[in-house]
Amino acid sequence: MATVTAMPARSRKQVVGRSRRTLAAAVALILFAIVLPFIPPFTGQDYQRYLVGAAYTAALAVAFDFTAGYIDIVNFGFAAFVGIGAYTSALLAVDLGLPPGLGLIAGAGAAGLVGLATGMLTLRLRGIYAAVMAWFVGLALMGLVRNLTDITRGSMGLNVPRLLGTDDNLPYYYVMLALLLVTIAVLTYVIRSNVGLAFRAIGQNLQAARASGINPTRFLVLNFTLSCAFAGLMGGFYAHYYTILTPDLMSTTRTIEVLAVAYIGGRGSLWGPAIIAFPLYIGTELLRTQLASLPGLHLVLYGLLLIVVMVYWPGGVAGVVRKTALWWERRSEKAADATTSSAS
Amino acid sequence: MALLELSGVTKRFGGLTAVNNVSFNVEAGEIFGLIGPNGAGKSTLLNCLAGLTKPNAGTIRFDGHDTTGMSADKMCRLGLGRTFQIPRPFPRMTAFENVVVSAAFGDPHLSRSGVSDRALEMIEYVEFPRPVGTLANHLNVVQLKRLDLARALASKPKLLLLDEFAAGLTPSELTDIAKLLRRIRDDGTTILMVEHVMRLILDLCGNLSVLQYGELIAHGNATTVAQDPRVREAYLGHNYIL
Repeated sequence: MATVTAMPARSRKQVVGRSRRTLAAAVALILFAIVLPFIPPFTGQDYQRYLVGAAYTAALAVAFDFTAGYIDIVNFGFAAFVGIGAYTSALLAVDLGLPPGLGLIAGAGAAGLVGLATGMLTLRLRGIYAAVMAWFVGLALMGLVRNLTDITRGSMGLNVPRLLGTDDNLPYYYVMLALLLVTIAVLTYVIRSNVGLAFRAIGQNLQAARASGINPTRFLVLNFTLSCAFAGLMGGFYAHYYTILTPDLMSTTRTIEVLAVAYIGGRGSLWGPAIIAFPLYIGTELLRTQLASLPGLHLVLYGLLLIVVMVYWPGGVAGVVRKTALWWERRSEKAADATTSSAS
Repeated sequence: MALLELSGVTKRFGGLTAVNNVSFNVEAGEIFGLIGPNGAGKSTLLNCLAGLTKPNAGTIRFDGHDTTGMSADKMCRLGLGRTFQIPRPFPRMTAFENVVVSAAFGDPHLSRSGVSDRALEMIEYVEFPRPVGTLANHLNVVQLKRLDLARALASKPKLLLLDEFAAGLTPSELTDIAKLLRRIRDDGTTILMVEHVMRLILDLCGNLSVLQYGELIAHGNATTVAQDPRVREAYLGHNYIL
């Protein structure tokens, strides 16, 4: 995959400055994520459990945004693909004694394959039909898992061996953080390649993309498959971290939680959803423990927040950050111009 | 052999025959005009040519290939570029990226390193007036038209389809566009233009076809066709003075 590197000369300097700043910000954020468990109150086991959940949610939101934010197709069956990864990895470990590490990869492969089949089935249809079809496929898969009790134990729950030989949350956090960073790195690489250019073209204007020589189906299926494979990978982690699986993991509610995080973080940025997942997830977990008498309240809050963001900041948090950065750049450019003109 | 050959092309939508048994040829190197009143089937015919819809009957041959019902992306890679009546860029991409898309995917002969050079070359060629890093959704309609033209040209098409490219332009912009289109033709790209602006048509086109109610009512040399009483009746009005 060749990256589109060549840039017109006059904006090259600007772009180099911008990418340096982006790199610095990324390194700072990663370092912050690494030291976070040593900053109170995150030193306690409870909070570290929240951190693992936040990193897990972040990775899911990134994989979701890869589809929703670029090819403009909302995969309402997303949670089902997480479930395929989770159950594949779990059953391989329970029935065949496969090490969980390999199970994660097998889970990603299985979810990717089902994603490939679903994509080939649905993505010839246009946006909303593809979304609805993916949803039905997800519901069907959840029904399957619920009813094949001989294999999955259905709603009784499947007990799964742990990923690491410890109950301490800290190592799990670092494993999940590594998975999150790998997800962001791989998907960002794809987006910046020519393949990513095709994704964006298809998502922004299908007709113009076709008139420019892009065969949409191939790219749509590739995107969908990759997103599902990463969902499956995270599913495997989920199984071997929480150690109990029920079909609820695959429900539409779980998809909507990921969707909310991805949209609030900012569609089509990958990093926006990853960052916003932390405060959102930890905040809702705290709310949930404080207000245990009101189950489902977090969904109401997600809904309200989603509405506010969609109306006032359709680009999400990433959009706001981008706009601020642009404004700052222009302001400092103007200041630089003023000093040079007054000096001369 | 003509670059584009239509024979008996028919397109129906339910009971409505939008294009009925249309045949004409476009020769390599010409600027060919397609005119007709609103609803005459011009856009439908253009969509059939560009692969957006399949004709119900008839054949379309382009550059020696039978391209009847071929998909739009294949048509583009075969050497057919098109602009849209309402310019349709990729809104959240820069002007540069908009053109890169078509250079990267529309021209199979172009090497990877040649893509951005081609894009910049085309942006300059159409005299795009803004910095290439400008986001497409910050452009006005006239700028979008030039960008759409650059996008269509970046795949180095043999045939360029223009769908009402001059609509909404001021007289001085029209003069510029006429100059630009003539230059594109002189540089080796055949042009088929659907147009309402008669001044531009008569200025540029050698041959002209006139559609009315989906049927070809006149065809031939532009000045002769424009004098045809049936054409004047159908399209230009009784008292149109050239």
